[in-house]
Amino acid sequence: MNAGSFILNILILGVPFSVALLLAGLGETINQRSGVFNLGCEGIMAMGAFLAFLPPYFLAKTPLAPSANLIGILLAVAAGALLGLLFALVVVTFRAPQGIAGIGLQMLGWGTAGTLFRRYVGGVTGVTGIPSLPIPGLSRIPILGPILFNHNPLVYLAFLLVPVFWYILFKTPWGLKVRAVGTYPRAADSLGIPVARVRYQALALGGAMAGLAGAYLSLAQAKMFADDLIAGRGFIAVALVYFGRWNPVGIMGGALLFSLAQSLQLSIQVAGIDFPYEFAVMLPYALVIVVLALVRKARMVGPAELGKPFDREQRV
Amino acid sequence: MKKLVALLVALALLAAAGCSRKPEAAPEKPKAKIALIIESTVDDKGWGQAMHDAIAAVQKKYGAALVEYSYSEKMKPVDAGSAARQYASQGFDIIIAHGAQFKNLILELSEEFPKTTFAFGTNADIGPKNVFTYMPMSEETGYINGVIAGMVTKTGIIGVVGPVDAGDSARYNRGFWLGVKAVNPKAEIKVAHTGSFADFVKAGELAHTHVKANADVLTGAAQQATGALRAVAEYKDKPIWWLGQDTLQLTMPEGYKVIAAASYDYSAVVEAMMDKRQAGILGGENIPLTFRNGGFVYKFNDSVGPVLTEAIRKAAEQAKTDITAQTLKLDWQAVKY
Repeated sequence: MNAGSFILNILILGVPFSVALLLAGLGETINQRSGVFNLGCEGIMAMGAFLAFLPPYFLAKTPLAPSANLIGILLAVAAGALLGLLFALVVVTFRAPQGIAGIGLQMLGWGTAGTLFRRYVGGVTGVTGIPSLPIPGLSRIPILGPILFNHNPLVYLAFLLVPVFWYILFKTPWGLKVRAVGTYPRAADSLGIPVARVRYQALALGGAMAGLAGAYLSLAQAKMFADDLIAGRGFIAVALVYFGRWNPVGIMGGALLFSLAQSLQLSIQVAGIDFPYEFAVMLPYALVIVVLALVRKARMVGPAELGKPFDREQRV
Repeated sequence: MKKLVALLVALALLAAAGCSRKPEAAPEKPKAKIALIIESTVDDKGWGQAMHDAIAAVQKKYGAALVEYSYSEKMKPVDAGSAARQYASQGFDIIIAHGAQFKNLILELSEEFPKTTFAFGTNADIGPKNVFTYMPMSEETGYINGVIAGMVTKTGIIGVVGPVDAGDSARYNRGFWLGVKAVNPKAEIKVAHTGSFADFVKAGELAHTHVKANADVLTGAAQQATGALRAVAEYKDKPIWWLGQDTLQLTMPEGYKVIAAASYDYSAVVEAMMDKRQAGILGGENIPLTFRNGGFVYKFNDSVGPVLTEAIRKAAEQAKTDITAQTLKLDWQAVKY
């Protein structure tokens, strides 16, 4: 294989690898912009992956089969939003410590998905999943076509959501409220912005995105469900929010960087380049740590009230 | 005449006595309580299920009254200690911690419970006197799969989706390499690792990377391999094939991509431990899994189509025969890829 094909393959594979991280990262950005970090992202992704998997698995030989993937995605999004609301109840209303509550949610989602999978499905198994949808004309453009326009619909959706989330966050009144309650909730409250309600809304949206990210893994990427399918990707998505400096465009950059590094290390191994595989598999993680350190140096500033519960009655 | 009658009567009595004697019963096994501790689950279509199925088969063979069986799943090494201690305290005779990661835990507990038999694997070390180790000689199954891969490939590029380069996976990969080279010295074997036994998604990503690099036959070990097989199945109409390290893969929906598969049959290990314990040997030995001792099962996929030619099947059968007869020695440690 020549160098051109080598690089092209890294890019072709790296783009779809990034989607789960991108979707979950966009949701987590909204969470954190509202002042709440959700370490339970991993658990919500597990529930999303499991629930999305069920309709294609059970409806495969029924008249509903053509709609099964869509039903699965809707289930995953709805469950994600509900889990986001549950998290909001715990950390916004009951003001539980966000880190501990997030870990609890992660275990709840992971355990529930695994238990229900064992109970109703059994062992590891696959589904047909979401097929590729090459965009007519564009997919035939040399180099860019296979990299950008020859994927399944969720890949296109994920990248289209980046400007949508940017617009929502920075150009709409609701986005302004989200940023306000994450930066200075007391001032927002004094201006009549319902801090708790906005945080509930943000966490529901963040949860829905994590559910969608899980659905992407089980329906579009792996096309299967297994007990530990998410394998830490939810935590990586949370880290990418810091990496992307709470900006959807930055999150996309982080997700792509991580996934291209992942694709690069796999391609290095497959090409037989003499490089210890132990170091190769560490490459994406090491890269994120290095870039995070550099971003830190560049005065990374997050939402001022991130992680702090808001209590209107509390004296300051 | 009287003597003749007496002789005939005596012979008849002897014959009758001989006929009426009950056949000598096989020495009965004493009751055994077996516990299994695994990090995955008993239905993972791979590592954990292979041991679970083996113990269940032994239990079925001798009856639940004779072989009592209990298991604990999703046990990380830090959690497994309390589970193993509970089993030992409850009088379980044989406690199998299925995974090399449990080594330190087992060695520690073996001192505390000297009358309990512990086992862990895969590991080729000789443990203390109440610890068995077991090691699948996976180079044997790898070699046969390699012979098939070497004969099937059209592009001359073959991909291996490894978990980590250690234990039986390392042996399997190197045996596979020897098998390919034995029939197709010019073939390129691309060995890559995910760094995880259970990251199904990453195994799928690696499989796609192999295919993009023109590999047309893939193989892989450990439970993560199911993710790679699922990725291979996405190339439904393309001649891209899979060789399995678990026969359960033949029965999966993606089985139409699997030419053949091998499996571990740990029942030989479980029965060996029961027999040795009965003979007063609580451990201190390594029990290998080989074709010779029935530790491996090998199956072709009869419905895979013309890709599995008679010549390929014969070559694979011959390799299996030679390995079983030990006329073919596999120097897997010499393989550097």
